[in-house]
Amino acid sequence: MSRPHRSEPSSRGLIGQIIDHRWDYLYVLPALGVMMLVIAYPIYYTFYLSFFRTPPSLAMSEKIFNGFDNYATVLGSDSFQQVTWNTIVWTVWSTFFALILGLGAALVLNREFMGRGLLRGLLLIPFVISAVAASYIWRWIYHSDFGVLGAVLFDLGLIDGKLNLLDNIDMVLPSLIVVNVWKEFPFAMIMILAGLQTVPDQLLNAARVDGAGAFHRFWHVTLPHLKGVLIITVLLLFVQNLNHFIIPWIMTGGGPAGASDIWITQIYQIAFGRIRFGIASAYSVILFLVMVVIGYFYVKALTGDEDRQAH
Amino acid sequence: MDKRRITRWHVFGWIFLVFLLIYAVTPLLWMLITSFKSQFAALQYPPDLYPKNPTTEQYVRLLSPQNDVGRQFLRYLLNSIMVSTVTTILGVAVAVPAAYAFSRFRFPGRKALFFSVLFRNMFPAVVFLMPLFIMMRWMGLVNTYSSLVITYLTFGLPLSIWLLKGFYDNIPVQLEQAARIDGCTRFQAFYLIVMPLSAPGIIATAIYSFITAWNEYVYALTFLNDDQKLTLPVGLQRFFTEYATNWPGLMAASFIMSVPVVAMFLILQKYFVRALTEGAVKA
Amino acid sequence: MAQVEFQEVVKRYGSFEAVKSVSFTVEDGEFVALVGPSGCGKTTTLNLIAGLLDLTGGAIRVGGRQINDLDPKDRDIAMVFQNYALYPNKTVRQNLGFPLRMRKVPKRELEEKVNDAARLLDITHLLDRRPRELSGGQQQRVALGRALVRDPQVFLMDEPLSNLDAKLRVQMRAELKRFHQDLNATVIYVTHDQLEAMTMADKMAVMSGGVLQQYDTPERVFEEPANVFVAGFVGSPAMNLLPARVVENGGAVQAAGEGWELALSPRNAASARRASGDAVILGARHSSLILHEEAAPGCIAAKIYTVEPTGDLTYAHVEVGGKTFVISLDPQRRIRADQPVWIEFDQDRLHLFDAVTEQRLPPG
Repeated sequence: MSRPHRSEPSSRGLIGQIIDHRWDYLYVLPALGVMMLVIAYPIYYTFYLSFFRTPPSLAMSEKIFNGFDNYATVLGSDSFQQVTWNTIVWTVWSTFFALILGLGAALVLNREFMGRGLLRGLLLIPFVISAVAASYIWRWIYHSDFGVLGAVLFDLGLIDGKLNLLDNIDMVLPSLIVVNVWKEFPFAMIMILAGLQTVPDQLLNAARVDGAGAFHRFWHVTLPHLKGVLIITVLLLFVQNLNHFIIPWIMTGGGPAGASDIWITQIYQIAFGRIRFGIASAYSVILFLVMVVIGYFYVKALTGDEDRQAH
Repeated sequence: MDKRRITRWHVFGWIFLVFLLIYAVTPLLWMLITSFKSQFAALQYPPDLYPKNPTTEQYVRLLSPQNDVGRQFLRYLLNSIMVSTVTTILGVAVAVPAAYAFSRFRFPGRKALFFSVLFRNMFPAVVFLMPLFIMMRWMGLVNTYSSLVITYLTFGLPLSIWLLKGFYDNIPVQLEQAARIDGCTRFQAFYLIVMPLSAPGIIATAIYSFITAWNEYVYALTFLNDDQKLTLPVGLQRFFTEYATNWPGLMAASFIMSVPVVAMFLILQKYFVRALTEGAVKA
Repeated sequence: MAQVEFQEVVKRYGSFEAVKSVSFTVEDGEFVALVGPSGCGKTTTLNLIAGLLDLTGGAIRVGGRQINDLDPKDRDIAMVFQNYALYPNKTVRQNLGFPLRMRKVPKRELEEKVNDAARLLDITHLLDRRPRELSGGQQQRVALGRALVRDPQVFLMDEPLSNLDAKLRVQMRAELKRFHQDLNATVIYVTHDQLEAMTMADKMAVMSGGVLQQYDTPERVFEEPANVFVAGFVGSPAMNLLPARVVENGGAVQAAGEGWELALSPRNAASARRASGDAVILGARHSSLILHEEAAPGCIAAKIYTVEPTGDLTYAHVEVGGKTFVISLDPQRRIRADQPVWIEFDQDRLHLFDAVTEQRLPPG
C-alpha cells in the first residue's frame, strides 16, 4: 500500500512506481472502468462512424465507408450557417446574462442580513428543478393565446394585441435565452458566492482605510480575487450552454423555420429523427473539436491555481 | 459623503434583488396557481392571476391509481425513483474510494486520471448518445433501466469525485495515522474515522447524483420507448399534445416532479454549498 | 516498556534519501529526543517506527522483535501528534477509549482505564466534551491520555508542545518529564527545539540532512559537540564559530585570522595538531568569553555591534574578524554600540573543529 505522505519526489522509474502503488489503483478502478466504458469507447466510435454512411436500419454491418463525405454534407448544408450563428448567439448571451445576474446576486447575498438563507434557497430553485418542467412552465407563460406574460404586458400597455414569442422568428431565440438564464444564473451565483468567501476581510478593511469607496473596493480587491472562480464559471456555463438540448427541444423543437435550432438539437434531429448516424457523428466530431479547444482552457484554468501553489 | 454612497449601493442592491426574486419565483408561482385551476378555467383570456375556484382535481387525478392517467403517472414516478436511487447508491459507492485515492495517494498518472475524469464534463451528451445507443442495442440493454443507470453514473462521477476530493483534502492525514496506531487497519481508519467526517460531502454528492438522474431527459428519451418504462421527464411529454393540452395537469405534474428535488436541495443546500466551496473554489 | 533498536535504517523517496543509514539504540525506559532543523529526517524516522512509512533498508527492533513489516496497529506503540489528531466527531471519553475499543478490551476494563488516565491528566471534567470545545492545552492532555491508556511498549511524540503558547509549553514540559519518570516509559520525542530536547531527554539524537550527527546525553552533546553542525545547533545563543589558520611559531601554536591572532594553550595546541590541514574552526560558548574594555594581553580586538539586555543577562553582539559573536555579560556593565573591546578566550572551554571534515578535534 502507499503512504499517505505528501509531495514526495518521484524520480524513481515509472514502472517501479506503478508497482509500488499497484493497490492504489484499486480505489479508482471502478470509477475508471465505468468511465472507459461510457466515455472512451463512445468517443472513439463517434470518430469512426463519422467516416461511414450508415443505414437507417442501424445494422452497422451494412455501413459503407465514405471518407469525408459526411463532413462535406454537414459543412455544405444550407442550414449550417444559420444553426452555427444561432448556437453562438444562444451560447454567448446565455453565458453573459447568467454570469451578470449570478455575480449581482452573489454580491448582494454576500452581505449579512435577515432571511439571507431563505432568499438564497428561493433563488436556487430554478437551478434544481428539471429542465423539462422548466420548459413546460415557460411555454405556458409564453403561450400566445392564454399566456400570462402577454396578458400582463397588455394590461401595462406595453403591447397591443397578442404576444407571440415562440412562433416569431426574431423573438424565439431571445425568449429561449430568458428561460435558459432563469435556469442557470443560480449556478453562477453559488459559484461566485463560494468565491467571495475567499476574499480576505483584512484586504477589504485595508482598502477601506486607504479611502477606497464601495466601487473601488470591488474593482481593486474583490474582483481580482474572484478571477479564478469567474473563469471557471464562465467556462462551465459556456460548455453547458453549447450542449444545452432540453429547452430548445421541448419549447420549440428548433422552430419556427430553424430559428431556434442549435448544433445540438440539429445533431439529435439528424441522428434520431432522420436516422443518419454517420452525418450526425461528423457533426458531433465538429462540436467535439470545438469542445476540446475550450476544454484545453478549462483544464488550464483549473490547474493554474494548483501549479502556483506548488511553487 | 462616503456613507451616502454606500447607501446608494445598498438601495441599488435591494432593487436588483427584488427584480431577481420576481424573475426567479413568479414562473414557479404561476405553475402552482395554474395547477389548482380546472382545465376550463386555465383557458381563459385574460387569465385569472389566482384561481377563482381552486380545485385539486389535477392532483387527485395524477395521484390516484384508479384511473389510467394516475396509473401511468405513478408508474413513471416509481420508475424515476428507482433509477435515481440506484444511480445515487452506485455513484456514491464508486466516487468515495476514487475521491479518497485522488486525495491521499500519489500514484503515477494520478493527475492525468483526475483530469480525464473531469474532462467528461466537457463532452456533449449527444456525442455519446449515438455510440451508446448502438452499444446498448448490441448489449440488449435498450429499454432497460441498466442502460440509464450506467450512463447516469458517468454524468455524476466527475463532479462527485471532484467535490469529495475537496472534502478529503481537508481532513488531516494525521487522524488516519492516529487511528492506525490506535489499532485500526487502513480500511477501519477510513471507515471509522474518515467516513463519518466526510458525511456532509457524501450527502452533498448523493443529492447531486440524485438530482441529475431525476432530471435527466436526453438519454431517457433515446434509450426508453416502452410506455411502461419511461421516467418522469420523458413521461411528462405523454401528457402534452399539440391541440388539447391539459395545462393545469401538466403544471401539477411538473410540480409533483419538482417537489422531491427542491425539498432535498433546500434542506441540504448548506452541505451542497459547503461542498462547492471546499471543492470548487480550491479546484 | 521496551528497548528500541535502529539498525542502519534507510528511507528513500525516489532518489531522495530522507534517512541515511541511521543506527542507535534507545534503552528501556529512556526518554530520547530526536532533534534537528526541519527537513532533517527526524519526523520521517518517527513515522518509520510507527509504521506510517515503510523502510527502504535496515531494521527496527522493539524489545528484540523486528517490526519492519508489521502494520502500525500491530506494533504496540502509541503516538502523540503535533496537531493532536483528536477525532473531532468523538467526545474526549470516546477518544480516550478508542485504542482500547479497537483492541477489544472489555467494556468494564475500558471505562476503568479511561477514568484512570483522565484522573492522571486532570481532565476528568472534560470527558464528555468534544475536541473543538477544548483549549490547546486541554487537547494536548487528551492526546497524551489517548497514548497512555494503552500502556504501550513505546511512546512516540511528534513535536507535541509546538502548538502551545510559551508559558503553557514550559508547564507541559515539566509535566511530561514528570510523567516519564513516574511511568518509566520508553519515549521517543521529536522536536526542532533544542532547549526542549536538552531539558527533557535522557539522550539526544541530533539529526541533519538525514544523518545522525550525534547520539549522547544532553550534557555531552553540549560539552563535546561531535561536529560543527551540532555545536551550532545545540545551545542558545548558538556557539560562536570562528574560522582560523593554525600557525606554528617556534614551538608556540597560534590560531590566526584576518587582523587577529591567538596563542593556543597546550591543550588546544594538541587538538589543533590533529587537524587534517592547517585550517580549523574555533568554537566558544557565549559564557566562555570575557569582554575587556581595555587592551589586554592574549586578547583579540573587536567592536561592539549592538547590546541586548534581557534582564538576567545582557548579550553583547561583537564584530570579530568578519564574524559576529554573542557574549553574555553581567547586566550591570554599561557597554555602548561601536565601542572598541577586547575578547579573552577561556581556553579550557574552547572547542576546536577541523575546517575540512567539520569534526571535533578532541583536546590533548
